[in-house]
Amino acid sequence: MAEAKEQPRIGVFICHCGTNIAGSLSIEEVKEYAMTLPGVVAAEEYQYMCSTPGQSLIADAIAEHKLNGVVVAACSPRLHEPTFRTATQEGGLNKFRFEMANIRDQNSWVHMHDWEGATSKAKDQVRIAVAKARLLEDLEPKSVPVEHAALVLGAGVGGMQAALDLASAGIKTYLVDKDPTVGGRMSQLDKTFPTLDCSQCILTPKMVDVGRHPNIELRTFTEVENVEGYIGNFTITLRKKARGVLSPAEAEERGIVGGGCNGCGDCSEVCPVIKPNPFELGMAPRKAIYIYHPQVNPLLYTIDFDSCVKCGLCVTACGEEKKAIDLDMVDTFEQVKVGTCILAIGYDLIPIEEKTEWGYKRYDNVITGLEFERLICASGPTGGKLIRPSDGQIPKKIGFVLCAGSRDNTGGVAKPYCSRFCCMYSLKHAHQIMEKIPGAVPYIFYMDIRSFGKMYEEFYYRIQNEGAKFIRGRVANILEDPSSKNLTVFTEDTLLGRPLSLEMDMVVLAAAIQPKPEAERIRQMFGVSKSQDGWLLEAHPKLNPCGTTTAGIYLAGVCQGPKDIPDTVAQAEGAASAASIPIHTGEVQLEPYFAQCVDELCAGCGMCVNLCPYGALALVEKNGRTVMEVTEAKCKGCGTCGGFCPGGAIKMQHFTSPQICAQIDAFLLEGGEQ
Amino acid sequence: MATDKNYGNPELENKLRDRYYYTTDSNPEFLEDVKTLSRTIAHMCFQCGTCTGSCPSAPRSSYRIRLFMRRGVLGLEQEALNDPDLWLCTTCYSCTDRCPRDIAPTDVIMAMRNLAFKYDIVPRNFLKTVQLIYNTGHGVPNNDVNRAARVKLGLTADPPTTHGYPEFIPGIQKIMDHYEMKDNADRILAEGGQ
Amino acid sequence: MAGNMRQYAFFLGCIAPNRYPGCESAAIKTSAKVGLELLPLKGAGCCPAPGAFGSIDLHVWYALAARNIVLAEQMNMDITLICNGCYKSIWEVNHILKHNDELRDGVNEVLKEVDMEFKGSIDVWHLAELYYDPKICGVEKIASTVTRPLTGTKIAVHYGCHLMKPGKERHFGDTENPMWIEELVEALGAEAVQYRNKMQCCGAGGGVRGYDITHALDITNEKLINLQEVGADALTEVCPFCQLQYDRGQVEIEEKFGQKYGLPVLHYNELLGLAQGMSPDELALDLHGVDCKPFLEKIL
Repeated sequence: MAEAKEQPRIGVFICHCGTNIAGSLSIEEVKEYAMTLPGVVAAEEYQYMCSTPGQSLIADAIAEHKLNGVVVAACSPRLHEPTFRTATQEGGLNKFRFEMANIRDQNSWVHMHDWEGATSKAKDQVRIAVAKARLLEDLEPKSVPVEHAALVLGAGVGGMQAALDLASAGIKTYLVDKDPTVGGRMSQLDKTFPTLDCSQCILTPKMVDVGRHPNIELRTFTEVENVEGYIGNFTITLRKKARGVLSPAEAEERGIVGGGCNGCGDCSEVCPVIKPNPFELGMAPRKAIYIYHPQVNPLLYTIDFDSCVKCGLCVTACGEEKKAIDLDMVDTFEQVKVGTCILAIGYDLIPIEEKTEWGYKRYDNVITGLEFERLICASGPTGGKLIRPSDGQIPKKIGFVLCAGSRDNTGGVAKPYCSRFCCMYSLKHAHQIMEKIPGAVPYIFYMDIRSFGKMYEEFYYRIQNEGAKFIRGRVANILEDPSSKNLTVFTEDTLLGRPLSLEMDMVVLAAAIQPKPEAERIRQMFGVSKSQDGWLLEAHPKLNPCGTTTAGIYLAGVCQGPKDIPDTVAQAEGAASAASIPIHTGEVQLEPYFAQCVDELCAGCGMCVNLCPYGALALVEKNGRTVMEVTEAKCKGCGTCGGFCPGGAIKMQHFTSPQICAQIDAFLLEGGEQ
Repeated sequence: MATDKNYGNPELENKLRDRYYYTTDSNPEFLEDVKTLSRTIAHMCFQCGTCTGSCPSAPRSSYRIRLFMRRGVLGLEQEALNDPDLWLCTTCYSCTDRCPRDIAPTDVIMAMRNLAFKYDIVPRNFLKTVQLIYNTGHGVPNNDVNRAARVKLGLTADPPTTHGYPEFIPGIQKIMDHYEMKDNADRILAEGGQ
Repeated sequence: MAGNMRQYAFFLGCIAPNRYPGCESAAIKTSAKVGLELLPLKGAGCCPAPGAFGSIDLHVWYALAARNIVLAEQMNMDITLICNGCYKSIWEVNHILKHNDELRDGVNEVLKEVDMEFKGSIDVWHLAELYYDPKICGVEKIASTVTRPLTGTKIAVHYGCHLMKPGKERHFGDTENPMWIEELVEALGAEAVQYRNKMQCCGAGGGVRGYDITHALDITNEKLINLQEVGADALTEVCPFCQLQYDRGQVEIEEKFGQKYGLPVLHYNELLGLAQGMSPDELALDLHGVDCKPFLEKIL
């Protein structure tokens, strides 16, 4: 840089964070040490630097000491970098004249019982931060316009709610689902706790609304193929899977006026291929041309080309007027441009048969909670009559096994977490059998009943009052009588201190839940991390539960972690609100951490162009020379190009080589000669 | 600390004895010893009852493995070690296979038995096995009927073990003596044991 | 010595050689027919009994089991054995000492006194798993050695505990409803029958047989009731201690509880011996507590 080098005047601000930091290391010693560092002209400490007085302390010190660099030694930049940048700006400095030393998460919390060691490490951290602060430059964030549209992936109750909120806020919203209909898991449920509303009854209005809303572009039987871009400007490629059936609109496009599928079902009637219906968990048949259930939206039949024999009977049945069926249909692709995205991709049950002690899939009358929902549901495969799969008899004694694979640290398919809704739906199941089957007795085998939500504990009280038997013991194993197909459940009544051997007509496993298998591919496309337990990772578990670490991507529902319907809907509305902010603002500020090409040093070799994972670099002609140019909005500042460039021609703003080398020197030379 | 009832009547004092659990009833080292010997995370038990529900001994006795796990967690050493049910575990490991906390309750029982032995609490049959192994190398030694049968089968009258090669027995004895195991077994048996 | 025979050090344990010598004899002869040569592990002792002995002092259990393992290390041969109790001691101690430096150093401290050192250079196998392993033998090879198929018999399997459990440390897969020994039984031409609570313990382990015989027998009796219900002609197992509990146990159950089952109990090696044409005399079946005749009549 040609301009005259200003003398560094750094202020160091050390936060106690109550006792979080001050309880594990000597703030006073770190402060005294900071004052000895070259360039440091002020050092302060305060109980909570993030508080209003703490921030004022920083702003005031900038003016008083004519600071040109600020170092705050406190918590993580993820938490308070924005706070202290604002304070720096309020003091009259460019907000990028700020550097943070994380002496809490990366020091006091991990070295809680090593006062000397933690103090010494904090000094290192402050010295390193000061070394960088001496070389900080003024930077300006870049503003980019935001596409006035959003995409919601997954059209379960969470995805539909998020889409409706976005659409009602005036944002064009693409609602995408891989299934042929919207509705998701909730449409498979019979009743919902604790209100006992019929799940379909409260869900279908939403299913209809997402079909009707002028701002919602519904894309069912569609998957995300590719994601490009960044907040404000995502380009998303959708794969519209070949449905084999034309909607009226699609028919019209092909010149079949007044044609297309009207949902009459004549095709399905004549179809000779019979397959298990996945919506009914395989407990009812469907044809190769099918709808999941009568309330599907859109009401369009779909061909399962994996089982279709292309006999053409459906084509004939559909007739010359509608001409809705196209047996040669292929997948098509569509690109949409959106500003923000919400992932609401739901969950699966674990393959509970791998917990072999409970005999699922080995014993006929052991079923999962989700299968119970279909069997008790009036629109289900038995018309709502709960029967034993083995003999069609009505069960009287039904065992409910809670924590079937949840709160289980044994690995394999088991999950260490609580699946959070099994206690409540099992209580509901108990109520339903007592209501529907005279003389039926539910036995609920539990470790703890977790009835934490609004009116949940009251629901527990109600079900106990209705006559459900609660046995505090986790089920050890189940044996089947091979002739009667009755089941003996073994556990200990831990409150009685006696082993139990109880013969049941049917056992319902409240199987743990897990992320969908496709979640892995989806999160990689959208650049979302996962947490230790496999669910998609929120930006902050408490303060940013809907956001992710990729700007512009938000989460809703169980894909972020187990939650019930109220929590899913609440998070969906939160995600919709968060996703609408950049769109309504109209522009987003990007961190100015772009790569910059120093044209004089660039040899135009172009190797960086191929290395860039974001397609942000290109070779251009400038003043008769070929040099690299950065599209700043695409650059994520990852540093791949800068680290590679053989000529040292690429400067990474805010992470320049001199800045990083100064930090390394400061660490290795322990503050000695540099 | 439990309150002493100085009623001058042992029967009454026992009937009305203080049943409160006091932290002073615990020996925290007991849990640590159990964890070291059992090589399992005994402190992580959350009392779900899967172990007792899996136990073949529970339905025919007062033995509750879950109770021993609880005593371990709370450090109730004497209560655990003096309970004769401690010796009713058949070590079938069903509880270990099914424990959702991935604890090995069976190995906790084995550890507690080891600790009981340090207090001379041990059933006589266990000590007799010790003596047999010390003297013959075998816990179930050969006998004359069997020797005859072996010969009829074309086998050596004594198997090619310490029976056939008794010169190996002193090695076994040396190892057991290192731990003073035989002396302790002899002493406890002589004192009448359990 | 045939050139392509796989050689193993044969760890006998106590109950097989000293109570059911037919198991020992059958193991040597039946394995020879599938290409396995079992060589005597001279000077081996008790494994020592994991329950009766391990209950007293696990460290002595480690050391004495290690002594047995070292004898095989000195032969430079893997161990094979035919008893689940022995498997627990020998396989598990071998496994623990290979993976736990502290315990291994402690054991070697003691073994030094008898001029031995545990090196961790060999593996330990139950003969039944070698029979099942297609790389070593396999079900088909077993079937090919059968000259007297056990056709028309219904045989139930008792897996025992210490071979497969705890499942996580072992390598046998599912411990709730395994079927691999049934496959070995069906290879002999018999029908393998299922019965209630197959995986429950015989009742003898952990020193309980010695500590409280009626308690142990009551567990055995529960299993015998379940076995009687499915009309098994015989029970087979891969553990002479389980065999003792079921076989001599039936005599004791008759004495103490007044209940009689008459269910022949045969080690899988005895069963295999019969299927390969060995005579009841060659298997010393007369030493069994329960008369095997009703079963033998069906196959001879």
